[in-house]
Amino acid sequence: MSSLREGAGVRYWRSLDELAQTPEFRAMAEREFPGEDFDRLPPATRRQFLKVIGASLGLAGLTACRWPKQEIVPFAHRPDDRTPGVPNEYATSMELGGVALGMVVTSFDGRPIKAEGNPRHPDSLGALSAIAQGTVLQMYDPDRSRRLLYRKGGQEYVKTWEEFGAFARERFAGSGEGVAVLAEPSSSEALRGQRKRFLSRLTGARWYEYDPLSRDNEREGTRFAFGRPLRIHPHLDRVRVIACFDADPFFEHPAALRLARRFVEARRPEGGLMPRLWVAESVHSLTGGRADRRLALPSSQVPRALAAVARRLAEAHDILLPESLRRTCAGASFDADFISDLARDLAEHRGEGVILVGPRQAPEVHALALALNGALGNAGAGVTYTEELDPDRPTHQAAITELVGRMGSGEVKTLLVLGGNPVYDAPRHLGFAEALAKVGESVHLGLYDDETSRSCGWHLPRAHHLEAWGDGHAFDGTWTFQQPLIAPLFAGRSPTELVATVLGDQAVDGHDLLRAAVAERLPETAAEEPWRELLHDGTAVGSAWVEVTARLDGAGLDQAADSLGDRLGMPEPTAEALELVLPPDSKVYDGRYANNAWLQELPDAITKITWDNALVLSPRTARELSLASGDVVRVRVGEDAVQAPVWVLPGLAAYCGTLALGYGRTAAGKVGDGVGVDAYALRSSGAMHLRTGVTLERTGRHHTLATTQNHWAIDTLGFEARSERSRELVREATVERFREEPAVFTEMVEQPPLSQLWEPFPYEGEQWGMAIDLNACIGCNACTVACQAENNVPVVGREQVIRQREMHWIRVDRYFKTPHEVGPADVDDAEMVFQPVPCMHCENAPCEEVCPVGATQHTPDGLNAMAYNRCIGTRYCSNNCPYKVRRFNFFNYHRHLAELSKMQMNPEVTVRSRGVMEKCTYCIQRIENVRITAHNERRPIEDGEIVTACAQTCPTRAITFGNVNDPESAVAKLRQDPRAYTILGELNVRPRTHYLGRLQNPVEAGHDGETGNADRAHGKESA
Amino acid sequence: MAEDKSRHFYVFPEWTWILRPGIAVAVLGGALYVSLVVYFGFSPKTTDVGYAPEQPVPYSHALHVGQLGLDCRYCHNTVDRAAFAAVPPTQTCMNCHSTIRTQSEKLIPVRSSYATGMPVEWVQVHDLPDYVYFNHSAHVLRGVGCVTCHGRVDSMEVVYQAQPLSMGWCLNCHRNPERYLRPVEFVTKLDWVPEEDQLALGKRLRETYNINPRTDCYTCHR
Repeated sequence: MSSLREGAGVRYWRSLDELAQTPEFRAMAEREFPGEDFDRLPPATRRQFLKVIGASLGLAGLTACRWPKQEIVPFAHRPDDRTPGVPNEYATSMELGGVALGMVVTSFDGRPIKAEGNPRHPDSLGALSAIAQGTVLQMYDPDRSRRLLYRKGGQEYVKTWEEFGAFARERFAGSGEGVAVLAEPSSSEALRGQRKRFLSRLTGARWYEYDPLSRDNEREGTRFAFGRPLRIHPHLDRVRVIACFDADPFFEHPAALRLARRFVEARRPEGGLMPRLWVAESVHSLTGGRADRRLALPSSQVPRALAAVARRLAEAHDILLPESLRRTCAGASFDADFISDLARDLAEHRGEGVILVGPRQAPEVHALALALNGALGNAGAGVTYTEELDPDRPTHQAAITELVGRMGSGEVKTLLVLGGNPVYDAPRHLGFAEALAKVGESVHLGLYDDETSRSCGWHLPRAHHLEAWGDGHAFDGTWTFQQPLIAPLFAGRSPTELVATVLGDQAVDGHDLLRAAVAERLPETAAEEPWRELLHDGTAVGSAWVEVTARLDGAGLDQAADSLGDRLGMPEPTAEALELVLPPDSKVYDGRYANNAWLQELPDAITKITWDNALVLSPRTARELSLASGDVVRVRVGEDAVQAPVWVLPGLAAYCGTLALGYGRTAAGKVGDGVGVDAYALRSSGAMHLRTGVTLERTGRHHTLATTQNHWAIDTLGFEARSERSRELVREATVERFREEPAVFTEMVEQPPLSQLWEPFPYEGEQWGMAIDLNACIGCNACTVACQAENNVPVVGREQVIRQREMHWIRVDRYFKTPHEVGPADVDDAEMVFQPVPCMHCENAPCEEVCPVGATQHTPDGLNAMAYNRCIGTRYCSNNCPYKVRRFNFFNYHRHLAELSKMQMNPEVTVRSRGVMEKCTYCIQRIENVRITAHNERRPIEDGEIVTACAQTCPTRAITFGNVNDPESAVAKLRQDPRAYTILGELNVRPRTHYLGRLQNPVEAGHDGETGNADRAHGKESA
Repeated sequence: MAEDKSRHFYVFPEWTWILRPGIAVAVLGGALYVSLVVYFGFSPKTTDVGYAPEQPVPYSHALHVGQLGLDCRYCHNTVDRAAFAAVPPTQTCMNCHSTIRTQSEKLIPVRSSYATGMPVEWVQVHDLPDYVYFNHSAHVLRGVGCVTCHGRVDSMEVVYQAQPLSMGWCLNCHRNPERYLRPVEFVTKLDWVPEEDQLALGKRLRETYNINPRTDCYTCHR
C-alpha cells in the first residue's frame, strides 16, 4: 500500500481497484495502451510484407502531384459586418427549465460553431455549463427532424406548413372546446403573450405546463411558508455557513454557474468570507464534493436530520421556530455529530448563514428550512425572495395528471404538445401514450421525431435555439434575448411561432413577434438603435426582479408541520428495502440530449461513466448484497422493474442507490437509441424523485461499463522505486493551517534541487502559461466539452472508451480520499477532489525529445505544439509523457461524419486523420489570432486578451491563462501564490501549468490538515 | 573466359556475364534518373507554377488592373485586416458593370449572380494545403508586396500561379526578408523597383517595422 500517495494520514485513489491494488489494476496501470496485446497479432507472411512494401513504393511518387481543383465561392452581396474568415459573435440565449441562460455564440462564415457565456448575463457571468456547450452540436445533428409528418391509420405522410396551417385553421377554431396545449416551462414574454391571446381567443381551451425535472417542491414549500409562491435566491457570497440538505446548488440549480462562482470567490484566502459548506445528502453531488463536512444519509431521512437540527437549535441555542413546527421537531433525533456541530455553527453565525433544500425533498421540508432561515435571521442576507412569474400555475404534477385524465376520458379533441417528450418522461402510470390514442388529433413540435412524435398525429420540426428568435428571464428575472445565428436549417418553427400559426396569424415571423413583445414593455425599442443595442447586449440592463420581504405565514406552516410529522416517521432503508434516487443526468439532462455525442461521451462528473447510466451503490451495500461493478440486476419496486448494471462508488448512504434519468430512449436518434437504462419506468406520480422499498435481484449477466476513471493513471504506482517517489497530485490543507504556514503546499512534497546538463533556454518575450486553482474547480466538466467544441476533438464511441481511447484533450480527474487506516475491505464513505489535467506544456518536454520525426516541438513563446502533418504515429511521445495527456487517433474518427455535422467544426483548427497524435495546444489558434492582430495594430497583447476555451467556459474561473513573463499578469501572480505547485515537478520537466492547492474550512481545525472528520473514521456518519 | 566456375556464386549462364557492366550502369543510371525526375518533376516549381485554370467569367486583370488602373485592394479589400484576401462579391463587379458593358456576353454569369444571389464559382489558383494557416494581413501590413508572391497580375489575361508557394519557398523569405521587403505604401505597386540597393533598404525596413519573421513550425502549422 505504500505505493499510494500518502499525505498527512489520508490517501488519494481513483477507484476501488486502485485502492486494493488488485492484480487487474496493476496489470492495467503498467501498460501504456491497455487492451492492446501487440504480441498476439498474427505474424505477417512474407508475401503480405512484400505487398505492403510494394504498395508504399508505388504510391510514394503520387503525393507531389497537384491536388484536386478547389473553388472559391464568394457572396453575391456581402453583408457589411462580414469579413470572410473572420468570425462574428452574437449574444443569444437558451432556455432550460424555464430559465434563460445567456450566451455569446461565435459564428464563422454564417455557421454558429462555438458557444461562450455572456459576461453581461447574471447567471452566466461569461461562463457556460457542459450541457450548454453541447447544444451547438445539437443543431447540426443529422438525426434532427427535417420534415412535417402526419401519421394516421398506420400511414405516414409528408406535409407542408401550408397544409398544417389549413388543418390548424379548422381544428383550432371556435371557442376551443376540447383543445389542450401541453408546454414546457418557459419564461418567454413573447410566448406568454401568445398564450394570453390563445386563451382569450379560444376560451374553452386549456394550457398545461409540465417539466419532468420540476422544482415545484421548492415552490410549494414557499407557498406553505409565505402564503404565496416565491422564488428563493441564495447569495453564497454573503454568508459564512452554507447548509445543503439534499441540495446541489453548484450543479443542479438553474443559477448554478453564478452560485458556484460566488462561492468560490468567497473562498479565496486573501479576502472573502470563507463560507463553511455543510452537505447532508444521500448520493454524491458536486456540491458534496466541495463540502467541508459531509453527512451521507438516505433521502428519506433528510427531513428527520433537518428537524433534528431545528430541535438542537431550539434546545441549545434558543433559536425558536413557530409553535407548530417546533412541536413537530421536538421529537426528532438523529445520531450524528454533524447535526450538533451544524447547529452550533448556524447559531454562531446568525444572519450570516443559509440553509438550502434540494428539489427532491417534499414541500414541507422546504418550509421548515425557510422557517429556520427566518428564525436565524438569514432572510434578506444569505437568501432573498422575489415574486414568482406565474403564481397561480398548478404544479407540474397536477397539470399532467389532469391533462392525462381528460385525455383518457375523451374530453380532449385536439392536443398541441409544444416541445418536451411526455410519452417518454411523463409518469408512466398515468399512461400518457395510451391516453393519446383517445385524443382526436394530436400535434407535437419537436427537435427530433421522438417517442412523443411517433405517437402523435402531426410531427412538426422545431427550430433549434440557435435558429430562433425568443426571450426568457434569467433566474433573477433579468430579461434575456435570443436571436438566431442561422436561418432554420429544416424549416423549423419556435413554439411562439407555432402558436401564432395555430391562431391563423398572417405574421408568423419570430422576429416580429419578439419585437412586438419587447416594444410592449420597453417602448423605446420601437426605434432601431435601442433595439439593436438590446440584441447586442443580450440582456436588458436593470431588469432583475425586485426583492420582496416575506413574512412567515402561520397557517401555512401549521399545514407544513402536519405533513412534516408524517415524514419524520419514515423508516430507514434496509438491504431488503432499498431506497433509489432518480436524479436528472448530469449530461443528457432529462433525456433531451441523449443524441448528443459529445455529452454521451463526456464522463459523468462523479461516476466517470460514459455512454451509459448505472445503478450506483456504496461499497458497503454492494458487499452485503454480494454485488460487484458490472453485475446486471433487476431493480424492482412495486410493479415496476428495469434491469441495470451496478456501479460501486463510495460516498452513498447505506442501502441507497441512484439511477440517472434520461437514458434508455428508443427514438432519440442513431447516437442515443438503446444507450443506458430507462429510469423513468421506475418513476411514479407519488414518487417522482425517490422510490423506497426497492429490491435488487441478480440476473447473472454482466455489462461492461465504459468508464474513464481508471484511465490515464499517472503512473506513480506499480513499482517499488517509483512508489517511493509518489507525490501528492492534489494538495489540500485547511485554511487555519495555510494561514499559519503559507508554505504548506510546497512543502508537502520534498523536491530535490533540480539541475540539468544544458543551459536553460532563455524564454524571453511573451511566454504562455496557465494556472489551475483546485480551490475553485468543482468538477463540472464544462472545460472538457468546451475544448472538444473548439478544437474539433472527435467522439470515439463506447467500445473505444472501454479501451481507454477517449480523445478529450483536457480531462477532470476525480480522486477519492480516505483516512490512512481505512482499508479496501472497509471503505464506504470518501471525500472527492477534482483535478483538471490538460497538457502541461513542459519546458523540458519529455515528449519532444523522443519524436523521431520532430513533429512536436517547442514554439518560441513556450508552447509545446504539434505539427500533425509530420506525425507518423509511433506514439513514443505519449509513452514518454508522465501526465498521459496525449491522444492518438487510432481510427479516422471523422470519416463517417455526415456533411451536416462537419459544419460545426472550427476551420481554424486542423481536423486530424488516422495515425496522428494530438493534445491540448493552449488553443494556439486563439493565441495566433490575437498575436497577429496585436502585431498588425503595432501594440502589445493585453493580459486577458487571449483566453483558452477551457478558461473561458469555467464557471468558477478556476483556469487562468496568460503571459508568465509579465509580472503584472494574472497568471504570473497566481504562480507566485504560496498555494502554487506543479505536479510531478520533481521529474524536472518544468511544466507551464501550475496548480493552486485546495483549501478546506472544517469546523475542527487542528487535525494536521485533515478535514476534521472524526465521525467519518469511526463510521458514524453513514446512518 | 577460363575463369574458375566454382568461384561464381550465381547460376546465370556464362554468355550473360558480358552484360554485367551494362546492368550496373543501367541500375545506377536508372536510380539517378528516377531521383532527378522526382526531384524536378514533382517539385512545386513544376507542378504548381503556371497553373492557370479556366474561370467561369473571363475576367482579365491585365485590363482592369493594368490598363484601367484598379488597385488590388479595391476588390480584394480584406487583405489588410484578415487572413484571406477574399475574392470580391458580385456587388463589387456591379459597382461599375451596372452601367458599363451592361449587354456584354462575358458578364452574363455576373449579372445573373447579382440578380439571383447565387455566387460566381471561381476556381482557386493559389491554393495552400489545409494544414497551412497563412495570414495575408500579417504580410501586407509589413511590406511584402503583392507581386512578390503573385507575380505581375497586372499583365495576366488569365491568372496563373507565378511562384511555387512551397514551404521551402516561403522559408526563403522568412529567413532573409531583406531581399523582398518594400515600404508599406508600395505594397500594391506591382512595378515598383527600389531606388537603392534592395538589401540595404530591406535591412532598414526591418528595423523600422520590427520585422522578425518566425521560422518555427507553428508559425503556419497549428
